[in-house]
Amino acid sequence: MMVKGQAIRPARFKSGSLAVYAGFALFTLVILVPIYWMLRSSLANAADLIKLPLVYFPSPTLKNFDTLVTQVPFFQYVRNSLIFALGTTLVTLLVSFLAAYGFARIPFPGSGILLWALVLSMALPDVGTIVPLYRVLKDLHLLDKIGGITLVMSSTLAPFTVWVLVSFIKQVPYEIEEAAIIDGASLPRIFWYILAPVTLPGLVTMGLINFINAWNNLLYPLSFTTSPSSKTLSVSITEVFAGYSPWGKPWELIMAVGVTMTVPIVILILFSQRAIVRGLVGGAIK
Amino acid sequence: MQVANAGKVRNGSAVPVRARPALSRSIRRRYWLFVLLVAPAFLLRLATAAFPILQTMYLSLTNLNLLKNTNAFIGLQNFPAVAGDPGVRAALSFTVILVVGSTVLELLVGMLVALLLDASFRGRAFARTINLIPWAIPTIVAGYAFRWLLDDQFGLVPYWIHQLTGIRFVAFISPLSAQLMVVLAHVWKDAPFMAFVFLAGLQGVPQELYDAARVDGASPWHRFWGVTVPLIMPLTITMVLFRLVWSLGSFDLVYGLTQGGPGVATSVLALQIFRQGILFFKFGFASAISVLLLILVACAGVLGLWLFRRADVTY
Repeated sequence: MMVKGQAIRPARFKSGSLAVYAGFALFTLVILVPIYWMLRSSLANAADLIKLPLVYFPSPTLKNFDTLVTQVPFFQYVRNSLIFALGTTLVTLLVSFLAAYGFARIPFPGSGILLWALVLSMALPDVGTIVPLYRVLKDLHLLDKIGGITLVMSSTLAPFTVWVLVSFIKQVPYEIEEAAIIDGASLPRIFWYILAPVTLPGLVTMGLINFINAWNNLLYPLSFTTSPSSKTLSVSITEVFAGYSPWGKPWELIMAVGVTMTVPIVILILFSQRAIVRGLVGGAIK
Repeated sequence: MQVANAGKVRNGSAVPVRARPALSRSIRRRYWLFVLLVAPAFLLRLATAAFPILQTMYLSLTNLNLLKNTNAFIGLQNFPAVAGDPGVRAALSFTVILVVGSTVLELLVGMLVALLLDASFRGRAFARTINLIPWAIPTIVAGYAFRWLLDDQFGLVPYWIHQLTGIRFVAFISPLSAQLMVVLAHVWKDAPFMAFVFLAGLQGVPQELYDAARVDGASPWHRFWGVTVPLIMPLTITMVLFRLVWSLGSFDLVYGLTQGGPGVATSVLALQIFRQGILFFKFGFASAISVLLLILVACAGVLGLWLFRRADVTY
C-alpha cells in the first residue's frame, strides 16, 4: 500500500526545497511552542512567571510538584487515573475482542445490521446521556466510584474497538482455527493460543488508543466523581485552576498537573507511534 | 406457509406441522455462541447508551429538578424555555460556528500538513512523530495551556505581538477574538489527526494513476485535483462526519480555554448540558438541550451520508 521511492506525486512539495523547510519550521514551531510553554511554566518558580520582560528559561525546580503533593492528594489522583485508564483498556479489549470474533467469524442472520447499529451508536454524543447515566450509576451504587466511570468509558470506546478488531480478525486466515476446531480445541484455547497471538498487533494498537482516550477523558470523571478516592487527574487540573493564589491563577501548579498528564502519553507515542497510527488510520480507511 | 413447507421438504421431516424449518444442532450451537460473544458488548451499550438516550428523551418532557424537588410530566414545555434561554441560544449559534469553522480549517490545514509530511526532507520522521502530540495531549490540558499562552499580561503570544507591533492583544475580552481563539485552538488540537488520515490516503493512491495522468500531460496541480482529490473524497467525508459528530458533543477545550466566556460568547451546547444537568441538577431542562443536540447530530449525520453517496466514486 505504501508507495515509496522517487515516485511522481501530485502537486507535491518539491522535496528538500526551501518551501518544504519553511513549512517544516513553521509546523514545528506551532506544535511545540505550547508544549514548551507548559514545561517552562511547570518547572519555574511562581515569581519567575510574572516577570516582564518574560523569562524564557527560568532556573528549573521541581517545587511545584512538591507543592501539589502536599496540598492535594496528588499521588492518589495519579493512581486513580492509572486504574481508570488501565481498567477501561482491559474491559474494552475483552468485551470488544469477543464481539469482534463473533462478527468476523460466525455467520448470523442480521449480524451486519447489528454491527452497523453498534458502530452507529458511536454517533450518540456522550454528553447527551450524562443525566440519565448519573441516575443509573446512582441506582447501581456506582456513583463516585472508579468502577462506575470505568464501565461507562469502556462502553463508549467499545464500538470503535470492535470495528477495528473485526477487520484485524478477518485478516487472519480461517483455516488455522478450522484445523484447531477439528482437532477438538475449545474456544478459550482457540482465543488464547491461535487468535490472540495473530491479532496481537491489533490488540496492542487498540489498547494504546483506548488507554490514551480514557486517561485524557474529562466528561465522565467530572460528572460522576466527587471524592478524592475516585477523582482523576483531569478533574484535579480543573480544581487547581479553580483555586487562587495571591497573584492570580496558580499557573505554575496548573501547568505542573498538565505536564504530569502529558508526559506518560508522550512517552507512549514515542515508543509506539507506528502502532497508534495504524489503528487511527485503519479505523478511518477500512 | 410457503416457508414452512420449504423447511419441511429440505429437512425431509416426517412431522406434519412445523412452524419453522428446524435448525440443525450445529447451526443452533453456532448461533448461541454468537449471542454469547456479542452479549457483553451489547449489554454494555444498551445499559449506558441506548437506555439512557431514551431516558433523556423522556426526561426532556418532565420538570425533574433535584434542587427544587419537582418531578412532573410537563409535555413539551421545556422546549419553548430552551429556545428562549439566552445561554442556550448563544451556545447553539456558537456550536454551529465552531463546528463548521474548525472543521473547514482543519481540513485545509490537515491537507497542507499531510502534503508536507508526504514530501521527503531531513527531519520528516521527527515531524511525523510530533504531529501526534496535539492529538494525544489531554484536551483539557491543551485548553489550559492555550489560556496561559494567550494570557494578556504574561502569555507568550500577546507578549510577542506587543514586542513586534506595539499592539496590546487581549485574547479573551472581546467575544469575537475569544471565539476565534477557541476555533484556532481546536484546529491545533485536531488538524494533525486529519493530516495522518490524509497522509495514509495520499500513500494509498495507486501510482499508475499519477503516471497515466502525467503521460496525458496533466500538471501537478491538475494531478492533485483530478486524481488525488476524487480518490480521497470518500475518506475525507467519512472523517468529516466523525469530526462533526464528535465535536458537536464535546466541551473540554472550551471548558479549559474560556469556560464559555466572555459572558456566553464561547459557550457550546455540551457545556450548557453539563452545567444545567450536573451542576444545577435541572435534569428536565438539561435533557431538553440534549434532545436539541441529538437533532443537530442527526442533521449532521444525514448531511454526511448524503455527501458520501454523492462522492462515492469507484475507479
